[in-house]
Amino acid sequence: MSWRWSVLLAAAACTALVVILAKGFGKDPHQVPFMLAGKPAPAFSLQKLDGSGKVTLSELKGHPVVINFWATWCGPCKVEHPVLDWGYRQYGRQAEFLGVVFEDTVENSRAFLKQSPTPFPQLVDPQSQTAVDYGVAGVPETYFIDAQGTIRGKHVGPLSLDALTARIKDLVQPVAQAR
Amino acid sequence: MGSALPLAILLSTALADFAPQQAGSEPLEPALEARVQRLGKQLRCAVCQGLSISDSPASMARAQLDKVRAMVSEGKSDEEIRDYFVARYGEWVLLQPEAHGVNWLVWLGPVALLLIGFAVIARQLQKKPAAAPQASTEQQAKRPVQAPGDEDEYLARVRAELDR
Repeated sequence: MSWRWSVLLAAAACTALVVILAKGFGKDPHQVPFMLAGKPAPAFSLQKLDGSGKVTLSELKGHPVVINFWATWCGPCKVEHPVLDWGYRQYGRQAEFLGVVFEDTVENSRAFLKQSPTPFPQLVDPQSQTAVDYGVAGVPETYFIDAQGTIRGKHVGPLSLDALTARIKDLVQPVAQAR
Repeated sequence: MGSALPLAILLSTALADFAPQQAGSEPLEPALEARVQRLGKQLRCAVCQGLSISDSPASMARAQLDKVRAMVSEGKSDEEIRDYFVARYGEWVLLQPEAHGVNWLVWLGPVALLLIGFAVIARQLQKKPAAAPQASTEQQAKRPVQAPGDEDEYLARVRAELDR
């Protein structure tokens, strides 16, 4: 093998290594990919936390839906709580708001909601199976589902007023305009 | 100072919020449960760093393992279960990436580097020390006459290089 080939091979190996490292370092290792954007929202039928019946996603078809996964042990969820409350009061006629308790006890959730009630239904997710169906990777996470039942996107972390407003506006406009 | 740190840790642990552990689903019969655990070892926990859902104590991992258990008991194949998780968390969820496309680089790269390394070593070992090239008669004639043994091998090679 001539020295030219050796240099070429070494250069190719170094370039490949640099590309792989650049690709790897450019990613946040904590960020879990979100694969359900544009896909039909997984169906669920969950009991309400206050025991007043069930909520079934298919029954909400025709309405945009905002689903918030939260827990009482999650600090950012408590920060986000008033934002969702405000969001419901502001946009509750344009979209259905639902809360899903993630990995928490019914007692803890009820005690928290007694102190800080929400005007929208809170649901119990036994063994977090609905959360796994939605690809939840921590709380708080909020999913935005359009009137056709398609997941438009998800917000990871606590929502701000601006972020929630932007998401709702995107959610209520027709799909063609959103693209 | 020495006793303050354990006290601080104890207090922060006692006062901090934490995810209450939920009971996992009941283990299946041994053969099926072994399959659940084997599949769990292949899937990355969503809230951990490089831990499988079988090995992680996180409640998220328990929920994911419960899902595997439910799907195994429903009679789903290993591929269907892996596909379910990939559809939600992407290939990121597979601790052992599938061998296709760019992923081949991960599988074949180390082997290729090893082979190249062995080839370089073998080549170096096979190489014989280069013999001093013989200078032409004309070039030899130009050189000053020296007594035999006056010129060492290294000098002869330098001269040969200069005569090129």
